Amino acid sequence: MSASRVRAITQRLLHQFRRDRRTLALLFGAPLIILGLLGYLLRGGGDVPKMGVVNLDSGPLGGIVASTLENSKSVSASSMSQADAETKLRSGEIAGYVSLPSDFSVQAQQHRIIAPEVHLEGSQPGLSQSILQSVSQSFVALAGQAGGVQFAPRITFLYGGPSFDTLDYFGAAFIGLVVFFLVFVITAVAFLRERGQGTLERLMASPLRRAEIVLGYMLGFTVLALVQSAEVLAFSLLVLHVHNVGNVALIFLLEALMAIAAVNLGIFLSMFARTEFQAVQFIPLVIVPQVLLAGIIFPISTEPGPLQALSRVLPLTYAVEGLRNIMIKGADLGWSSLQLDVGVVLGFCILVILAGAMTLRRRIA
Amino acid sequence: MTTEAYAVDVDNVVKRFGKQTALDGVSLRVRRGEVYGLLGPNGAGKTTLIRSFVGLVAPEKGTVTVLGRRMPQLEVLAHVGYMTQQAALYPDLSAEENVYFFGAINGRVDGVREALEFVDLWDRRKSVVSTLSGGMRTRCSLACALVHKPDLLLLDEPTVGVDPQLRVQLWDGFRKMAAGGTSIVVSSHVMDEAERCDRLGLIRFGKLLAEGTVAEIKAKAAVDRLEDAFLKLSEASPA
Repeated sequence: MSASRVRAITQRLLHQFRRDRRTLALLFGAPLIILGLLGYLLRGGGDVPKMGVVNLDSGPLGGIVASTLENSKSVSASSMSQADAETKLRSGEIAGYVSLPSDFSVQAQQHRIIAPEVHLEGSQPGLSQSILQSVSQSFVALAGQAGGVQFAPRITFLYGGPSFDTLDYFGAAFIGLVVFFLVFVITAVAFLRERGQGTLERLMASPLRRAEIVLGYMLGFTVLALVQSAEVLAFSLLVLHVHNVGNVALIFLLEALMAIAAVNLGIFLSMFARTEFQAVQFIPLVIVPQVLLAGIIFPISTEPGPLQALSRVLPLTYAVEGLRNIMIKGADLGWSSLQLDVGVVLGFCILVILAGAMTLRRRIA
Repeated sequence: MTTEAYAVDVDNVVKRFGKQTALDGVSLRVRRGEVYGLLGPNGAGKTTLIRSFVGLVAPEKGTVTVLGRRMPQLEVLAHVGYMTQQAALYPDLSAEENVYFFGAINGRVDGVREALEFVDLWDRRKSVVSTLSGGMRTRCSLACALVHKPDLLLLDEPTVGVDPQLRVQLWDGFRKMAAGGTSIVVSSHVMDEAERCDRLGLIRFGKLLAEGTVAEIKAKAAVDRLEDAFLKLSEASPA
């Protein structure tokens, strides 16, 4: 072991980084961006889940519960009619509602049973949890007054069900994310390798047109990406048994669109990198913020306002939403929400295809 | 396309990279069916000049005409073969697959066997490029440049890392191709290779110092050896 030889390596490494400003900027900038984003996301005072309270109780207790809920800070509850609540639940405006039946007070006082109906939208477990928690807390005050009561809520789900777990919720999003992410990285690196090994120079000195190169790449990687999409889908549905009530062909369509977008995003962004190393650096800049903001982990409806606006312009948001619409809610192309999702992803595909073809021309000329 | 008198006609080409002047008003002509040697030290501008022949370098001033077409022009490139200095190949493909690919993008795949035999790699055609030696890769790269039977072959230092025996063999091949009507431009800094060219262009600091047959250049400098001629002509026109 020679200290001077070790030092030589260390020194060389630091010298190299000094020349590579971009890597330095990333090394010291990206953590702040990612952590800052996460901090804002979690502490930025985002919206709490919205819910409805339907009070049909003829007795006095229903009113107490309703006002406790309406004053709760962990949900934003407002009272509404049964029909109204049902409509809002289906449109996704509220994540759930609690219904207090007409014999609510009677049941509680005579039979010592508190039996509210809790109707949950169910497609987002995080929101369902918040609502269930708030509802049970709102009965704590009541339990103190009545004394020794049994809490027996009847819970129904619009989508999913009691067996619907976190994987069912994340699974839908991750099917799309895994394909998008891997295809992006592989394409970007392959395209840069073409530059690095000198073969791109040869392609440029041949009668090949730029569009032909981009199209050839796109088709080649799309074949791989489609096989991968099919594999991921089959594994998720057959092995993991991820909840799916939708049309498998539709899931595949959306996945395929994401794969094509990822291929072209890879080609496009590889124009802004000189080495494979730099291409990999796009991951924290392009992929991580999208994962945080696309509603994969944190529901967009509970993000701080400005971040909600940002989420709404990210294509991945629509892809994730589309996959959840299909798999959890059983949406088909007749649903306007799915039309929007598929439309945005398709538009993004076209945009990156054009961007890729145009940048290639500029860099070589 | 074969009626033009010159395979390459470069007229007063200027190209700068930032402050560096890579080509400083170069004019030269490569005749049909001749082997033209571009001779000069490292960094003289040989590669930049060759890249301008295939439209990879856009001159700021002057024109480049290749096979009668003013560059940049895409279609004419199907009749040009370009071998880069670095052996530009796909390391995961076999020698044959590489040659086939470059034939295919130029629209001709009927010459794969001939090209591989020309560089003496037919027996190794199934070998994946990453397992080939440096010299074999250079030869494979050469095969990729001539698989589509180009009318103009541009070779950027093609014999670097090739053993003397094969070098002689390759040069015999070049001569044969030239006799068959192919125009060849070879860049080199090896003087004994220059002797095998029909005509030479001496290039230094982005300028063409002299052009002509080996005998003409020697006569111009009034020396016996090409090396001395190069040194003498360089001194005569300082940068």
